[in-house]
Amino acid sequence: MSARTAAAGVSWLRGLRASAWLGWQVSSNWTRPLLFLIYVVLRPISAALILAVMYRVIAGPKAAPYLAFLVSGTAFWAFVQNGMAGFANALSEDRGRYKMLKYVYIAPQRFGLYMLGRSLAELGAAALAALIVLGLATVALHLPIDARTVNYPLLLLACALATFTVLSVSLVYSLLLLGTHDSYSYGELGAQTLYILSGAIFPVTVLPGALGWIALWSPFASWLELVRRALMPGQRAVLMFPSVGTGGVLLRLCVETAVVVVLGRVAFARAERRARARGYLDRDANW
Amino acid sequence: MRAQNSRAVDGAPSAPAIFARSAVARSYPRWRAAVRDRSWVLLETVLPLIGTIAMIYVYKGLHAPDRFLGFVVMGGAMLAYWSNVLWSMGTQLYWDRDKGNLELYAIAPVSFVAVLCGMALGGLIFSTVRAMCVVVIASLLFDVHYVWSAVPAAFGVFLLALLALYGMGSLMGSLFLFYGREVWHVASAMQEPVYFLGGFYFPVHSLGAVLGGVAALLPITLGLDAMRQLLLPGTPSFIAVHWEVLALVVQVPVYAAAARAALQQMEMRSRREGRLIMRGG
Repeated sequence: MSARTAAAGVSWLRGLRASAWLGWQVSSNWTRPLLFLIYVVLRPISAALILAVMYRVIAGPKAAPYLAFLVSGTAFWAFVQNGMAGFANALSEDRGRYKMLKYVYIAPQRFGLYMLGRSLAELGAAALAALIVLGLATVALHLPIDARTVNYPLLLLACALATFTVLSVSLVYSLLLLGTHDSYSYGELGAQTLYILSGAIFPVTVLPGALGWIALWSPFASWLELVRRALMPGQRAVLMFPSVGTGGVLLRLCVETAVVVVLGRVAFARAERRARARGYLDRDANW
Repeated sequence: MRAQNSRAVDGAPSAPAIFARSAVARSYPRWRAAVRDRSWVLLETVLPLIGTIAMIYVYKGLHAPDRFLGFVVMGGAMLAYWSNVLWSMGTQLYWDRDKGNLELYAIAPVSFVAVLCGMALGGLIFSTVRAMCVVVIASLLFDVHYVWSAVPAAFGVFLLALLALYGMGSLMGSLFLFYGREVWHVASAMQEPVYFLGGFYFPVHSLGAVLGGVAALLPITLGLDAMRQLLLPGTPSFIAVHWEVLALVVQVPVYAAAARAALQQMEMRSRREGRLIMRGG
């Protein structure tokens, strides 16, 4: 029994590695590694620069923790951007452009595993982008982030929990999008909607009414709050929930992640059945 | 050249008529698609609206004066045209080649310039609906006010900027044709940096003289700044409106001529290297 479990585990890992490698190759082999690196960071760097200039226009040239709030939010948002928009587009390409989704589905490995591996490649690129943008911005904009004082365990734990959330949401969302004739770019729509509710570039407390309430319970808001607490310990100006302790925010993120993962698992199973029943996996999208 | 040759045939339409018909014909699929599949309305209106609202809340989070809200709304509206130029002009010949249309354009008695004009005409419907939605909804949501008496002048500047911008888009269309699979990524990579350089969300003068000068090569930078000065007086400006208009007047023929030359070059080189029928990048 244990030998069978071990063999299944090895097979699972092999499938994951192959899917992630395929995803990475499709994403990156169109150019040389250095150019790909520039491509990956260009978007978040431009977004950070836009926010930095907006901040300077209003607050003046002095660097302040709030600038670090903006830049850290936009740097780490690459996780969600790539995880949702990048992955949804990738799946759309697999079906419509490369016409290979149906072959992946009938392969011996589980379809969910393929999707997981494919999205991990997107998240890998996002992690790279977040690190580079944050490093460059800290030096260039004199952000109050000190590599020696960063709470790395908290940062890693928060990002690991966020990865579960991003994967759960993006896998279901991408599968549901296959139901549309032309699903390309709809991933961007989903990511942008979450952007508003995440506290990435403004505190969720400025949102009015129901929007503000929804944003308060968004796992992305809790995640980014913990990222900022980990990067800038003791800087109260960067906090969205100053009345809640770090342990409280972490607990909240754990609960929110658990809810999203459980709901995501159920939704994924339903979306997969639906996609199969309605022939979405082999739909000609006229790419 | 092909169009002029057709005059020799008895009863054949003149070159300008062929040009006009070709442009209208190329714009038709885009107009038709807009009616046939309305799902684009969601994508083309909600997506930029969300982006604009996010930037408005950034200013709100910074407790910025209210005049900056209108500033962002106008920038958000003009994004539509940049996206259209980038994706529906710049990369279009590449997609057309991939789908096998480019070789049909090449053997048809039409000019590539007419085809590109048609693309621009057809794409304007999407962009204008998108821009109008952003302006109307965001202005109502955030109570933005404009100087209505300046609307005709701002509309003139807008048309001038569009002419220059679509000339630039035609130029990009030719240049992008020489890329393979990476063209999509090149276009994608150009999107956000232009949001930054174009001053879509902040005053261009904040970029300083050198970067601001580079940004002024983009027609949308000058057009947007001029329209803001006219419609939202009191907001920070880059240079005086009349200089911006003059620069746009110069940019229109320059980009048009560059696009025409690039198209001819592209056509010749593509014929020589067999790129007109290259598929799959």
